[in-house]
Amino acid sequence: MVDRRIAFFSISVVLVRLCVVADSAAGASSAWSLSPLVSPRLPEAVSTESNAPIDQFVSQRLTSAGLSFSPPAKKSIWLRRVYFDLIGLPPSPEALDDFIADSSPLAFERVVDRLLGSPRYGERWARHWMDAVRYAETHGHDEDGIRENAWPYRDWLIQALNRDLPYRDFVKLQIAGDVIAPEDPWAVAATGFLSCGPWDQSSQMGIQDGTLDKKIAQYLDRDDMLSVTMSTFTSTTVHCARCHDHKFDPIPLEDYYALQSVFAGVDKVDRPFELDTEVIQERARLEAEKQALVEGRLPTLLASLQEDIVDWAREIRSLSVPWTFLQPRNLESINGSSFEILEDQSILSQGELPDTDTYTVRAIVAPGTLTALRLEVLADSSLPFSGPGRSENGNFHLSDIEVRIDGKVIAIDRAVADFEQSGWGIKRAIDDDEDSAWGVHPQEGQSHRAVFHFKDGVTLGAAAPIAVTLSQGHGRGHVIGRFRLAVTDHASPAEDIDVSNEIYAKAALVDSQRTEEGLRVLALAYLKEANEEALEALPSPRMVYAVSDRFDAKGNFKPSIKPREVHVLQRGNIRSPIALAEPGALSCVSQIESRFGLVASDLEGPRRVALANWLVHADNVLAWRSIVNRIWYHHFGRGIVASLNDFGKMGDQPSHPELLDHLAVGFRDQGGRLKWLHRHIVLSRTYRQSSADQEAGLAIDPENQLLWRMNARQLDAECVRDSVVQLSGKLDHRMGGPSSRQFKTSKGVHVTPVVDYDTFDPDAPENLRRAVYRFVFRTVPDPLMQSLGCPDASQLTARRETSATALQALALLNNRFVVRQSEHIAESLARIPSLDGRVPELFRRAYSRSPTEQERQSVSRYARQHGFANACRVILNSSEFLYCQ
Amino acid sequence: MMIQDLSRRDFLLRTGQGFGGLALAHLLRSEDALTGGAVGGIHHAPKAKRVIQLFMNGGVSQMDTFDPKPRLTQLNDQAFDPGAGQLVESVTGSPGFKVLASPFEFKQYGRSGRWVSSVFPHMAGLVDELAFLTSMTSPTNVHGLGSYLQNTGFTLPGFPCVGAWVSYGLGKLNKNLPEFIVMPDPDGLPYNNLGNFSAGFLPAKHQGVVINAGPDSNGTTPVPFLFPPKDARQITPQSERAGRELLAQLNGAFAGRFPSNSELDARVSSYEMAARMQLSAPEVFDLKSESAATKALYGLDHEETSDFGRRCLIGRRMMERDVRFVQIWSGAGGPSNNWDNHANIQEQLPFMSRQVDQPISGLIKDLKSRGMLDETLVVWTTEFGRMPFSQGEAGRDHNGGTFVTWLAGGGVKPGVAIGESDEWGWKARSPIQCYDLHATMLHLLGVDHERLTVRHQGIDRRLTDVHGRVLKEILV
Repeated sequence: MVDRRIAFFSISVVLVRLCVVADSAAGASSAWSLSPLVSPRLPEAVSTESNAPIDQFVSQRLTSAGLSFSPPAKKSIWLRRVYFDLIGLPPSPEALDDFIADSSPLAFERVVDRLLGSPRYGERWARHWMDAVRYAETHGHDEDGIRENAWPYRDWLIQALNRDLPYRDFVKLQIAGDVIAPEDPWAVAATGFLSCGPWDQSSQMGIQDGTLDKKIAQYLDRDDMLSVTMSTFTSTTVHCARCHDHKFDPIPLEDYYALQSVFAGVDKVDRPFELDTEVIQERARLEAEKQALVEGRLPTLLASLQEDIVDWAREIRSLSVPWTFLQPRNLESINGSSFEILEDQSILSQGELPDTDTYTVRAIVAPGTLTALRLEVLADSSLPFSGPGRSENGNFHLSDIEVRIDGKVIAIDRAVADFEQSGWGIKRAIDDDEDSAWGVHPQEGQSHRAVFHFKDGVTLGAAAPIAVTLSQGHGRGHVIGRFRLAVTDHASPAEDIDVSNEIYAKAALVDSQRTEEGLRVLALAYLKEANEEALEALPSPRMVYAVSDRFDAKGNFKPSIKPREVHVLQRGNIRSPIALAEPGALSCVSQIESRFGLVASDLEGPRRVALANWLVHADNVLAWRSIVNRIWYHHFGRGIVASLNDFGKMGDQPSHPELLDHLAVGFRDQGGRLKWLHRHIVLSRTYRQSSADQEAGLAIDPENQLLWRMNARQLDAECVRDSVVQLSGKLDHRMGGPSSRQFKTSKGVHVTPVVDYDTFDPDAPENLRRAVYRFVFRTVPDPLMQSLGCPDASQLTARRETSATALQALALLNNRFVVRQSEHIAESLARIPSLDGRVPELFRRAYSRSPTEQERQSVSRYARQHGFANACRVILNSSEFLYCQ
Repeated sequence: MMIQDLSRRDFLLRTGQGFGGLALAHLLRSEDALTGGAVGGIHHAPKAKRVIQLFMNGGVSQMDTFDPKPRLTQLNDQAFDPGAGQLVESVTGSPGFKVLASPFEFKQYGRSGRWVSSVFPHMAGLVDELAFLTSMTSPTNVHGLGSYLQNTGFTLPGFPCVGAWVSYGLGKLNKNLPEFIVMPDPDGLPYNNLGNFSAGFLPAKHQGVVINAGPDSNGTTPVPFLFPPKDARQITPQSERAGRELLAQLNGAFAGRFPSNSELDARVSSYEMAARMQLSAPEVFDLKSESAATKALYGLDHEETSDFGRRCLIGRRMMERDVRFVQIWSGAGGPSNNWDNHANIQEQLPFMSRQVDQPISGLIKDLKSRGMLDETLVVWTTEFGRMPFSQGEAGRDHNGGTFVTWLAGGGVKPGVAIGESDEWGWKARSPIQCYDLHATMLHLLGVDHERLTVRHQGIDRRLTDVHGRVLKEILV
């Protein structure tokens, strides 16, 4: 490591002399990255081999150093290189033959255009992007829950790249697609970008609102969003300015908090995104109607509804049960719960959560005959997962219920509930067994109800006290959060349907007695029910894990509704706010206004839109340089600026600053088409060079900063995995949809499941899709992929590091999937009659070349003695297969 | 002959006879040659060569083990009030904040007179070997964040743990085994799963190699992918040997085409190293050569102690073979079967302590009698402590305010204790942070914690962030 740095600085001395923008004193400065972006003059032609500007800039630098381009690589080597670079897969033997046979000077362009037009291109480059933004499908903290709906962002990425979406739109949609293009459902999926990072479920959902700990969790979550945005799009380390002005770059503390303020309204959350336009319109219509009904407005003329309402009222009369709510006069808890009686006579249990509890509700019932008691347990946004229970998942367990009227225990002979948790049925609440109970898992988050039938009707001549005791002895806080009690005199309350007393009263009137107002009330209720049914009948919307300011609260995780206040914090300390932060971006990009002036607005959307526009502004010198450098890196294995995410003083200096600016301006001005950039790069003479050693180059520039040759590179984990499956002919090219889980899961002791890669069937269909569709589990990564350098998505990974280790060797040798695939490759070659024929075919599939005679003999000999599958396994472990030359 | 027909040992002996052109005798020689080899710190001479860390997952109660609080007995069952209007909080709820006296008896032990409760009778006999940090603190009371902090120095995911930093900073000490090995509780991974053993932004080769060394692990591979899968149809010892030769030939030829590319040479040697690992790794786990007395010392002859004892004994064998950093976990994640004793201290704590007490003292005694303790650092720790007041029936909630860690072995002053907690064991009076512990561990290994840095996303990251003080008071 130390040696590398020394080597680099000695080279940079050479560069500084040649470099127009370099800081002469320090040899390291961020000035180059902030300087105005103008297209540099092309150097005078020094290369006789190519007129392309890329080659002119590179060869100018080489010539000055006394070097020249390496000879072009063999056609087969170039082909394999460009296949891996553009689509992440090796060429088929047929494609190889066609290309070698095509002697036209246009042969290279034809290959490149075909690859750029292939849907495989988007799959390859989306995976690079997913590294940069640390895409994964679990939350990544202690409670590493699964994100069922992260994948639409990945699908959007692949589509956007395949369509060659202009870079301006590509950026803007990821930051604020939901605001910019509300009519485009995929624009919501694009904002999945902001939610890629880890999310601290236990702090966000567990900690009370308003506490310092909660505020810290919110600041950290916004830090995650702004870091990924600024590192990815502008290659700045703005997160270094969280506690103090940036130590090395011109980024003041205020800029950092201006960016915090941009994201002050959003949280990472599942949000709906609808693809079917008819459904979108119908849902919008029904939502508008629902709103009108809630406000008491009839969307249709009353007269037109009269007949329907009369029928409906009859139905209600025949089916529903009139319930009278108990008005609690006294509430008791044996373990210190406190209660709040809400307007609707329901009771909210609060205070320190006890392990177990028993509630007693006392009320007065009117004279008459009572036949049953109803217990409604109600969802409430203040409860974990919206209740109705107070345990951490929103469940409760009712061990037993006792009803006393006038001091006498009333026998209950039957109970029914609208939902029963498996093994926790309602009968268990009337069995006098404290250990058995009624529960509602997994239907937390919804209201439920149970009706308890009195064995004998209770007839009261006068008003009498009633006491209902709910014992909840299961433990671990499984107590009811919000509930309501009611009684009835109905003879057979089993057929309970859910209408309010007011509606029942109106429906109970004979038709002639009904007033205009009564009709209106019934009509509203009728339409509400119809509206609800219609909404429920719509296909449930697809969801994407993205960001939003509106969502159903889960425990203490609640939507902002309007942007939260963000303060500039002295030393990053939550206890030392200095001033209210104003939404904005980096002031060092002096060509663009860095404050958005939106601080007074209650809307969060415009803040993100303003940042999106700032990022793609033609004068955002960082953004245009950043993206072309990133693309260059993936083609050459080294960026023009080696530190892809740091264009600051502590980052690296550009090896070819003028080339960088030339590419940035060209890319920007021709519409920000990535495919344009790829095409120019891979068709250049620079890219076509051989990667073989050259004496002069090694002596003068051993790190190959000047690009006197191509860099040989180890394939990344996804390329290795996809190539292995392609070699056996089993690669499944189905695109998109939920990710392939290449592991077994079983219930864990807590939120995170147990993840088992070892015993997963190597022949399962999930194993045969491209690795970009692989489910990435943050805290339990795939051991094979990890050994091949696949990052665990906890941190932004601009560049992957691979190193050959014994553990990698063992994984490639002995992982069940690799071993099984080598058997499949052997099977697929078995149609070729002789071993002498199979070995060359294996070489052509794996290496894109034919074997030498000696290679053919030694591999054949081995295959003859030990089977062809073993020979395939050896080839899959060979450096030539795992490298791109 | 198919691999299924062979015992692992046969397989090894057969494959070992000459794959990749390397003879068994040669392999064993090179192993011997390294025993007692270079120690090498990077900033100063080290006191310890390797580390064995025992992590008690869930938060060990300090006032029921090593930090007695007689005041709690006086206040038992009264509402906890630290006075001065201090806010008393509890992350998962402790109704009434009723003070809970320790149900365990404390006695003084050794020349140092250290107080130890009845839950650790074996460790009590060793207090003169240990250096206690009795006022460790953690700013978080949440398991996930707390274990990240104690392992990586940060509460967020994505940072390298101590073992990874040590592997990165000091490089390889042995030739045939991984540098950093983790043996989780066979019941399951701890909070944060593999996140606690991550290499973060360091190269992946520095992450902890997780090994299943549980009671049922006989016959499974001690290192991931060490041997071909059982259902591999064509793999035999002969095919393995010849396959390695063919691979060495192909890879050697390819590397020869790029003489300047050292990574290709490294690939060739990685397969040689893999072969050596196949030979030496199973031997580490084979306890046949250990005497009955040694096994009994670790409690292998009792069901309660046999699992943790077995892992401690394997840990010692790894230390003997110069694995640089070994981490052994007691307790899985989740709400039970670990040190997270919310419901009832009197029942839950002894259930855990009985499993580890004898094995840990066996480990210290064994290392000492073999003359290895001088160059082995032993660290016993947890993610936080517990509250002075009760929860559930008679349990205790999480408390980052103060807890106990101890160190022993290479360079550590035996029989001392530093740091003081308040009269209730609620908060530390002289806080010691994970950064101080980590700085001290690195120091003992010959590493200056301020100078072991890696540039990541524009920041020179270090294990101790911008903190850390080497605890000179506990150094020899």
